[in-house]
Amino acid sequence: MFTLFTSMFKEEWRMHSTLFGNLNFALFPVLIFAIAFMGVFILPLITTVMDTVLLSIVVHAQFILLGIMVGSFGILGKEVMNRRFGQASLIAYSARSLPVSEQMVFLNFVVKDILYYFILWVLPFGLGFLAASPFLGINLYYPMLLLLTLSIAFLMGLCTIFLLSAIYSRSKPALFAVLAILLAGFLGSSILYSPGTVLSAVLLPVSIFDSFTYSGLLLSLGAIAVFFTLSILFFTSADTGSEKHYRNLLDSVSQRLGFLQDNTLVAKDFIDLYRSGIGIGQTIFSFLLPLGLIWLVLSFLREFLTQNNILFTIAVVTGVIASTMYTWVTEFDSISAYYFLPLNISSIIRAKTGTFTVLQVVPVVFIIAVGLLSDAAASIPNAVVLCLSVSFFELALMIRMCGLEPGTMIYNVRVFLKYILITGPVILVLLGLTFISPYLAYISVILFIPAWYLIKSGFKKWDNSDYAGF
Amino acid sequence: MPVIKTENISKKFGELKAVDEVNLGVEKGSLFGLLGPNGSGKTTMIKMLTGQIKPSSGSAKVLGIDPVKEGIRVREVVGIIPEQETPPSFLTSGEYLSFVAKIRKIDGIEEKSDWWFDYLDFADKKDVLCKDLSRGTRQKLMFAQAFLHDPEIALIDEPLINLDPVMQRKVKKFLKDYVESGNTVFLSTHILEIAEEICTDFAILHKGRLLHTGKTDELKEKGMHLDDFFMELVERS
Ligand SMILES: Nc1ncnc2c1ncn2[C@@H]1O[C@H](COP(=O)(O)OP(=O)(O)O)[C@@H](O)[C@H]1O
Ligand SMILES: [Mg+2]
Repeated sequence: MFTLFTSMFKEEWRMHSTLFGNLNFALFPVLIFAIAFMGVFILPLITTVMDTVLLSIVVHAQFILLGIMVGSFGILGKEVMNRRFGQASLIAYSARSLPVSEQMVFLNFVVKDILYYFILWVLPFGLGFLAASPFLGINLYYPMLLLLTLSIAFLMGLCTIFLLSAIYSRSKPALFAVLAILLAGFLGSSILYSPGTVLSAVLLPVSIFDSFTYSGLLLSLGAIAVFFTLSILFFTSADTGSEKHYRNLLDSVSQRLGFLQDNTLVAKDFIDLYRSGIGIGQTIFSFLLPLGLIWLVLSFLREFLTQNNILFTIAVVTGVIASTMYTWVTEFDSISAYYFLPLNISSIIRAKTGTFTVLQVVPVVFIIAVGLLSDAAASIPNAVVLCLSVSFFELALMIRMCGLEPGTMIYNVRVFLKYILITGPVILVLLGLTFISPYLAYISVILFIPAWYLIKSGFKKWDNSDYAGF
Repeated sequence: MPVIKTENISKKFGELKAVDEVNLGVEKGSLFGLLGPNGSGKTTMIKMLTGQIKPSSGSAKVLGIDPVKEGIRVREVVGIIPEQETPPSFLTSGEYLSFVAKIRKIDGIEEKSDWWFDYLDFADKKDVLCKDLSRGTRQKLMFAQAFLHDPEIALIDEPLINLDPVMQRKVKKFLKDYVESGNTVFLSTHILEIAEEICTDFAILHKGRLLHTGKTDELKEKGMHLDDFFMELVERS
């Protein structure tokens, strides 16, 4: 079993490192380490504007988010395995011909992924904090505890989503029932208890960090173990049933999208998203849930922020998260199935942009809902414009830097650095402007100009290079 | 007049020379077999000829078109079966053929695809998602896809390995008829019996280098078998 695990692990590593060179990839955890290390030195600065409890909430929430982003194996399950391994390399695929159950293969795949992302993100971040602590005279107890609680945060986010997505892969109504119960429980308890108590239950690792108890630790580890085991048990392979027959949708969908230049490709994308369940699944797991969490955290800042400020912050974050929809439509599509047809890489990217644009309905609806629910209706148009500008700008950055491989290329240190160094300031400036006046949110439309240039030059760049075909 | 011609075409992946200074000419109306062991550069060659990857040096012409400059035009006029039989997972096989037809702007796709479903005997799979098809059925689908637009040249990469003997025979007959009506087939395979049976011309590639080109008939006249000839060449190099 262990050989299966190590060969999957090596395969993942090889995929990343052959794509952009060993060094560029190996440096990725080093970069995360460096960011955390340097972050510690500006801690005193940050704590003058934000108290430490809040900071701890924000940091832990980020790692829960990371877990959420990594953890929707259930819905994607086999599809992802096939995408990531099926064609170029064959370990997960050939494992089926080994005397090993599908669940075992899947277990290996998931554990490998968890460990992989742990080494890429969580561990270096924790170690960076640890390494910097002596310089500031911080007691080593804190960074060690932080490493522990961040790992728990990551695993909790991951296992929760994993469980939900595994339920989803079994039965959609069951998922909605579970979500409804969770929501009811959440709303009910927020009436009975103070918001602080509710939040500390949702963000258990924060309270463990705040005041360490063994019972808290055991509780969270127990929850992780139970969630994880249930998810693996719930996972069933997608094609156990009899052969299903489907109605032809391509003709009607592409006709309805006739106003788009690449209607055939876009129609194919939507059929993929619809039939695989990835469309709804990803909307829930990679969009609504993380944003819900962020909204929850932000609503704790009500003392510091006005309703407008919260709405604009959510708009910007939603823009960034909405831009990752580009990775849904690229990652889960086997482009090698049609790029030997008379198509340029740029026309495929353009089609993906078309699909992406239609999908932007989701963030728009989300922002409108947030605006209405948080009594900031007057600022909704500004927030929508802000969100879309950010989303399309980030999309353009991804197209230019990653082409059709955004999910993989982001682990290239140079790409990642450029991405955060460009995104960070843009976001901060925009937020700063909206804090001055809500009307300044409209300035964000300027971003469409660089976005247009980035996309144009991205087309040229990717047409001129060989498509790796992963 | 050759319809496919390469001049010192090479492709390097880092240090590895996947294709090394190859000069080939394929005549119109021939069924040309590119033969070689696994990893000898056959797939790389087909990808360069169809503009899917760019040669590191050297050049090629397909029907007089340069695949580096006008890859799209080459892919418009030729039919391609790629090495991996991976049609898009969540389209049905019927939808996939109609997808290809829309991209290639082919009219009357219903009739054409029905003909193929019938000919390769998989009409019962028309409404089944590609991801649920057996490998053999996927290969049939990829075969049909390549010939939908009646291309003058078809470049087909290991198109027979997953097919049963009955289907292999049908496909072989189709290919023979197809070249007899003046079209050209560029077939890559490591299965020498197939090449010996249907190819009019062949070339042997080994570690990216071209070891030999010739006519299958000439070999037969000398009373030699392709596999003996192939083994000898590969071992000698
Ligand atoms: N994208 C790629 N990157 C690196 N090496 C490659 C790539 N594609 C093919 N190769 C290598 O080039 C050589 C020729 O491969 P290929 O053309 O697929 O051979 P064949 O089709 O004859 O089996 C092999 O050694 C293969 O590993
Ligand atoms: Mg090959």
